[in-house]
Amino acid sequence: MNVVHIAGRELRATFSNAVGWLVLCGFLLLTGYFWITQLDLFVTESANLVFNPYGAPTMTISVHLLGQFFGNTLVVLVMVIPALSMRLFSEEIRGRTLELLLTSPVSTLEIVLGKYLGALSFVALMLLSMSYAPLSLLAWTDSLDWGALFGGYLSWLLASAALLSLGMFVSSITTSQMVALVLSFSASLMLYVLSWSADDPDSWMVQLSLGAHVEDLVRGAVRASDLAYFGGLTAFFLFATHQRLESFRWK
Amino acid sequence: MIQVEQLTKIYGANTAIDHLDFTVAKGEIVGFLGVNGAGKSTTMRILAGALGATSGRALLGGVDVFEKPKAVKRLLGYLPEFPPLYTDMTVRGFLRFTARIKGAQNPIEATERVISRVALDSVAHRLIDHLSKGYRQRVGIAQALVHDPRILILDEPTSGLDPAQRVEIRNLVRELASGDVTIILSTHVLSEIEAICKRVIIIDRGRIVAQDTLAGLFGAGTSIRVKVARPSDDLATRIAGIPGVLKVEVSDGGDLVVGAERDVREAVARATVDAGLLELTGNRALEDVFLALTGGGTR
Repeated sequence: MNVVHIAGRELRATFSNAVGWLVLCGFLLLTGYFWITQLDLFVTESANLVFNPYGAPTMTISVHLLGQFFGNTLVVLVMVIPALSMRLFSEEIRGRTLELLLTSPVSTLEIVLGKYLGALSFVALMLLSMSYAPLSLLAWTDSLDWGALFGGYLSWLLASAALLSLGMFVSSITTSQMVALVLSFSASLMLYVLSWSADDPDSWMVQLSLGAHVEDLVRGAVRASDLAYFGGLTAFFLFATHQRLESFRWK
Repeated sequence: MIQVEQLTKIYGANTAIDHLDFTVAKGEIVGFLGVNGAGKSTTMRILAGALGATSGRALLGGVDVFEKPKAVKRLLGYLPEFPPLYTDMTVRGFLRFTARIKGAQNPIEATERVISRVALDSVAHRLIDHLSKGYRQRVGIAQALVHDPRILILDEPTSGLDPAQRVEIRNLVRELASGDVTIILSTHVLSEIEAICKRVIIIDRGRIVAQDTLAGLFGAGTSIRVKVARPSDDLATRIAGIPGVLKVEVSDGGDLVVGAERDVREAVARATVDAGLLELTGNRALEDVFLALTGGGTR
């Protein structure tokens, strides 16, 4: 139950904080822009295909609109998640409220999971608030590819979970939110661009990068290796945060 | 109720507390005294479970702080030196949250009880961010009390309060102790210790230098304040030479504060007559005992 109490407080705190609302606005604005651009491109190119005399391959909503949109907006998450995670622990350490949690009958694991799940619930609400865009397609088509939509949302959620966990760990090693923001943004961006310079798709740089692991997801194909990648990344940084908090008691 | 054995905390090359041993009985109020940096807050934070110890043992209510931290924290209310408050919450919301994570039986009832007990009714709906320092301190005390703890550790509970609020908090602490709550409190206001505590633990440079009842410390004949018309270094040296005298300090007002291992008032009076002895106060003020034992000042 302690996890629920701490998560509930965290969620309320994010909503009572200007940064939470700014992040939500920024996310809606950027993803909205991405959606309109992608939709415009899809409509223009589909129209061109109609007049293509050579019978070029057709374009589908699943791959060329939804898949592209969810894949491209990954960069938006790389930008906004660090802004949400920066205050998670740095604010608690600076404001000395961590002492309240540490001296309450709550385990370190409950503190970490509570804070994390509270922030993740905010992210989930933020991601859901964007669902108006893909759902608006129902106005033109009866056969929306729910698999691709689910895959797209899953890719968003898994990537956010991993980035949030990374950001939370960074926020636990500094008392400055600004330092936490810069460090976690740099680390997240690094994970994102890691595959860009690699030629071999099997190289470790590609395997470690975020982009490579959302490619199949956004097409609606859920692979165990992708789930393991995001699950592993999230668990690793949750564990690191746990050890960092324990070190307050034992250093 | 509280049992501390050989408790030690070392930060790198700095020993914050050095083999502390003390016990506090059920229902007792013990004052923790020491200059800044003496190790009071470190000891309190270790007992509260916010900090680990390098070695030693601490038992609260018979339970080991390091082996069963969760069980100990249920017994314990802790007010740190800086009250831990979520300033984006209302007083009532914050206290409900703390009641829940501290495992109060009925969090909503417990919150209302503590609000009226610490007299926070008029500000219960307000954001903590908008409260004065005095009210914030009270919210800090309320969060320590909300789950009806058997043991209270209060690190400077009256700092930042005005004289009227201080008296209220003192009365509250006394009332709690009469209800079988065991209390350790530290303060810089020595008169507070005299007003509330039956026993004092004086700590200096991480070591316990005195541990006695107030009567025991006052009656020991170990500290004298001397006012003379013509103070000089030579006089201080002469007093320091009297058998039984441990140290002589010159206070800001030019008074000599003499620390001794036995009652040396007669010998000191004789030595200071020629320098124009105006006043010789026996061992009456806790300040003197404190200064004599710790050497005063801050580190």
